[in-house]
Amino acid sequence: MRPDERDLDEEIGGHLALAIKERIDRGEDPRAARLGALEEFGYVGAIHDSMRRVWYGRWYDAAEALARDIRFALRSLVRAKGLTSTVVVTLALGIGANAAIFSVVRSVLLRPLVNRDADRLIYIRQTAQGIGTENLTFSMPEINDLKSRVRTIAAFGDFSTVDFTLIGFGREPRVVTAGVVNGSFFEVMGLRPVLGRLLSPADDGPGAAGAAVLTHRFWTAVLDRDPTVIGRTIRLGPGTATVVGVLEPSVPYPAETQIIANVVTSPHHLGATMVTDRRHRMTELFGRLAPGATLEAARAELISVHASMVREHPEAYSARAQVQLQVTTFPDQIASPARTVLLLLLAAAGVVFVIACSNVANLILARSVRREAELAVRAALGAGQGALRRTLLAESLVLCAAGAMLGLMLAEPLVTVAARYAARFSVRALEATVDSSVLWLGAGLALVASVLLAYVPRLPSSDRSVGLGLAGGSPRMTPGTNRRLRIFATTQIACSFVLLAGAGMLVATLNALQTANTGYDMRQVLAIDVPPSATGVGGAATLDFFQEATRRIGELPRVQGVAAGMVVPWRDPSSGLKFQFAFEGYQPADGEENPTCRFRPVSPRFFAVLGVPILAGRDFTDEDRNDTELVAIVSQSLAQRLFPNGDAVNRRLWFANGGKPRPRRIVGIVADVDDENVVQEPSLTVYDPLRQMGLPSRLFVRAAGDPYALVPSVTRTIRAISADQGVERPTTLEDVRAEVLTPERLNAFVFSAFGGIALLIAVVGVAGVLAFSVSARRREFGIRLAIGSTPSQLLTRVLEEGAVIVMAGITAGAVFGYVLARVASTYLGTARVPGVLPAVGAAAVLAGAAVIASLIPAARASRVDVLEALRSE
Amino acid sequence: MSTTMAKAADLQRLELLQGTLDMLILRTLQWGPQHGHGIGQAIRAQSDDLLKVETGSLYPALHRLEKRGWLKSEWGLSDANQRAKYYRLTAAGKAQLLRERDRWSQLVHAIGRIMNPAPAREE
Repeated sequence: MRPDERDLDEEIGGHLALAIKERIDRGEDPRAARLGALEEFGYVGAIHDSMRRVWYGRWYDAAEALARDIRFALRSLVRAKGLTSTVVVTLALGIGANAAIFSVVRSVLLRPLVNRDADRLIYIRQTAQGIGTENLTFSMPEINDLKSRVRTIAAFGDFSTVDFTLIGFGREPRVVTAGVVNGSFFEVMGLRPVLGRLLSPADDGPGAAGAAVLTHRFWTAVLDRDPTVIGRTIRLGPGTATVVGVLEPSVPYPAETQIIANVVTSPHHLGATMVTDRRHRMTELFGRLAPGATLEAARAELISVHASMVREHPEAYSARAQVQLQVTTFPDQIASPARTVLLLLLAAAGVVFVIACSNVANLILARSVRREAELAVRAALGAGQGALRRTLLAESLVLCAAGAMLGLMLAEPLVTVAARYAARFSVRALEATVDSSVLWLGAGLALVASVLLAYVPRLPSSDRSVGLGLAGGSPRMTPGTNRRLRIFATTQIACSFVLLAGAGMLVATLNALQTANTGYDMRQVLAIDVPPSATGVGGAATLDFFQEATRRIGELPRVQGVAAGMVVPWRDPSSGLKFQFAFEGYQPADGEENPTCRFRPVSPRFFAVLGVPILAGRDFTDEDRNDTELVAIVSQSLAQRLFPNGDAVNRRLWFANGGKPRPRRIVGIVADVDDENVVQEPSLTVYDPLRQMGLPSRLFVRAAGDPYALVPSVTRTIRAISADQGVERPTTLEDVRAEVLTPERLNAFVFSAFGGIALLIAVVGVAGVLAFSVSARRREFGIRLAIGSTPSQLLTRVLEEGAVIVMAGITAGAVFGYVLARVASTYLGTARVPGVLPAVGAAAVLAGAAVIASLIPAARASRVDVLEALRSE
Repeated sequence: MSTTMAKAADLQRLELLQGTLDMLILRTLQWGPQHGHGIGQAIRAQSDDLLKVETGSLYPALHRLEKRGWLKSEWGLSDANQRAKYYRLTAAGKAQLLRERDRWSQLVHAIGRIMNPAPAREE
């Protein structure tokens, strides 16, 4: 209670006490005196009410008047159920979509990371624009150079990804993705453990004991938050490690891993290649700015150190690759892939909101024209402009508040959908939730909408001939109102067109990707991951294991062929399998280097199993072994580019940078396939027999009938040879491609959804405007019919009006969309102006839908009863 | 029967003219500080019970006048040793009372001339 009110209570108490005492003095019985005084005083609450009016003055009056208007608005809206529900649902869609997208944008782009001082944490990468590589990663010698020379970075953390077979926790062997890190990694990242400890510099070096930290997600999802995991020993690939701690929930970057372990757990990291080969790049690098150092200073120093490093080791940095260093803050690095798509989504949601608002504005405008008589009566009875405006404001407040509430209810499931969608671009999206800030956004949007809407209708002004408004029984349209209705309808069409054309472009892109010819047999081939780390040894034993597995699976019923390789098209990262080759009889032109080719070790029958035709020469056979002649098969593009005379077969090739050349003879040419891009590009590929070089890890099984039906028997067969062997992700190539295209499909889906909503709202808008225009012009139609127009002429007339709105909208939309796309492409880089086909398609869909929508009001116009229409005035 | 009684009651108690309550309060307080109950009783007594001020109008009026700076209030003890809020006329209040009194006599004069016009006397 406010002090004022307590004061008042006391004052009233004093008053009553005096009155009672006076009555008693007059000789009344105390009880009767008390009752009498109370009765004389009257209702105490009423005094409080009137007091508030004294205290708060104007505000109290205004609030009371608004409350009265809102009550009035509620009553009149309940009567207009159709309008109310249309408006509320339309606004709810607009507000809900915005709230959901905003939640995701906020969690991905705006919410702070758990990493301590994330702004001082930087991510460093090497790019090689010349060979189209955005992130070359680092080799250990490079990292050591940077560590020893750069002063503006207090500490570096390095991280590389390795697949281990994990045996332990009393569960089946499974392949986990592990991060192998140096001891300062967690300190640099600024992360804390929720259990146990993280890794420290004491865990570095080949002499340390194997130590592993579990990620929070793995600990939660797989181990049910078992607190006793600390101190357990697990088998990680060939070695063992002790679980020392559990990491707090944090953004899994650079890779989604289950375990993060120290260097000693990975024999590869201790090997000579890793330690000394400057070109063996597989490690990602983080740094924490030294106290007092700025990002700019660190960037400048890193780039200059890197430049001198490149000068000192010309053999490791080809001039053509243009290796450069990029430095970004960690928050920017993880947000950047999602930024473009999220900003586009936000823009789409904003456009939907504009459409929703203009549609609602239309409905309200039409309603206010119908109410003109009522408003005119109120104005004639002395209601000022302010009071009338307040009536309209109350009504739009009620509508928008209802829309916002429904919209926020919609936001909850929408956020879940949108978060799952955006998680493809940034893991942070999964943190998105509906919370108070979204509620504020919804309330804000509703308020903006309601104020705008209240100022849309024209008020009957006192100067104008009020009599006209009072006299007419039926609504009458003024040119001004008519123009506004049309402008709003045109706006909707324009905005819908932009969305539809955008969605059309995405669908067209997706369609092109999904139907592009890849050169592979997509349906009948099952690709299976059979990670070699499980077998523990590698080399000859792994080869024998695969040979045996291939033989036994080949004997299964409905299996048409089996082959082994190292790369499942599109699914496996294969950037490491790219080398420069020198070819006998091919001299690079001046200033050019030897061609960089993909290198793919494959087993015999690989091409037959995957459906890639052999164009010349022969396939590999089981006789191509380590102790026989070294051979190779090349892709058609390679053969044509390097040997345009068609004499590639029997030429020799060798690794251009690999010490003493060991020439291989080209024994065959195969058709081009592109296992890196789903839309095929000419690829220079060198294949070699697995038995001569390489380590198989993928099986390809060609099936007769349903490939997935073979999975159980294939798994059984492999486990019969090696019980601990992982058999994972059996997928047909077609489904691999579908999986790779998921972001594109989701893009297309989400934008189509927005486009669909927009189309729906816009069509309702156009139909609404025409319907209203027809009902307001019944008299005109009646006269036209009376003086000889035919009903079909009227029908055509109304349809023409609809067509004009649609054409104007589409033209405006095309101009607006073109400008938007140009602006977007300068800022976002990846946005494209939609092609002609999606734009024409969008226009056709809009025009068609709008014409169908105008048919109903048009038909009504043509059926106007002449006598009735003329009499009704 | 009952109608005549109601009429009699109506005659006995007069409705306050709108806007006159403020003036009456100011006038009453000219005699010295008084609490709300006292003000009500004084108006009633001085009008020979013809004017009765409803508490529901009195207190809002007191607070309104205080807010305008014409009254000042302070807590004190009544004759009956009861804690009560006493209202006192301020200098601005005294000036306002003079203005209202002028306005009132003009009003009475004007209404009187309408109700009792000179030609009416000739009739």
